[in-house]
Amino acid sequence: MASPIPVGVTKEQAFSMAQTEMEYRVELFNKLAQTCFNKCVDKRYKEAELNMGENSCIDRCVSKYWQVNGMVGQLLSAGKPPV
Amino acid sequence: MADSSAAEPTTGASSPPVASDENSTQIQPIRMPTIEEIRAQEVWNNCAVRAVTSGVMGGGLGLMMGLFLGALDNPITHDTMTARQQFVFTAKQMGQRSWNSCKTFAVMGLVFSAAECIVEKARAKHDTVNTAIAGCVTGGSMSARGGPKAACIGCAGFATFSVLIEKFFDRHT
Repeated sequence: MASPIPVGVTKEQAFSMAQTEMEYRVELFNKLAQTCFNKCVDKRYKEAELNMGENSCIDRCVSKYWQVNGMVGQLLSAGKPPV
Repeated sequence: MADSSAAEPTTGASSPPVASDENSTQIQPIRMPTIEEIRAQEVWNNCAVRAVTSGVMGGGLGLMMGLFLGALDNPITHDTMTARQQFVFTAKQMGQRSWNSCKTFAVMGLVFSAAECIVEKARAKHDTVNTAIAGCVTGGSMSARGGPKAACIGCAGFATFSVLIEKFFDRHT
């Protein structure tokens, strides 16, 4: 999963790049979990387990979020402004 | 994230057990479900497994009901048959009726559970609307022999019945 470190980058720079990447990943996961929880789970809790409707809602929400995240990342990295 | 949750139990276990009540009030760290637990929960999310289980349970219920009602309904004539023949006749009637009832209830349970599962997966919501739609499908399919009007009445009746049963079972939440 980790991309190869380009030559000529010092150890501190590689470490800070890895740290930035890790922070980005943690932030992405937290935002994803929070968004899909607020969207899919009814706040009046009746049981501890996720029932089937919530499960399929979470599947769809995560799939959409991930796809949009990938598209936005590609657009930003290609240098074009997001439409 | 995984390291911190794995390190917590070791620090908790290495603390000296001063008193038993102190250990019982320790807050446990959040434990992520293992892959076996996730798979065990995923089995119950499958529509086919749910439908078959519900059909089997409906069949068992139908057997019990058929036995009970079959024993009640049969008129016993004292003059034409001996006691032993009466017993055999009654037993056969009970068996016949309970088998018919078992089949009916098994089909009902299977269709209801499959319909509710499919509708809930498609809508991605947990409502009583799922129960109503599944009840309508079940009632309509079972009364379909009597024509479209009987199917509509069966649909409405069974949908109402299943919504009432669902509300009855969830009344204390």
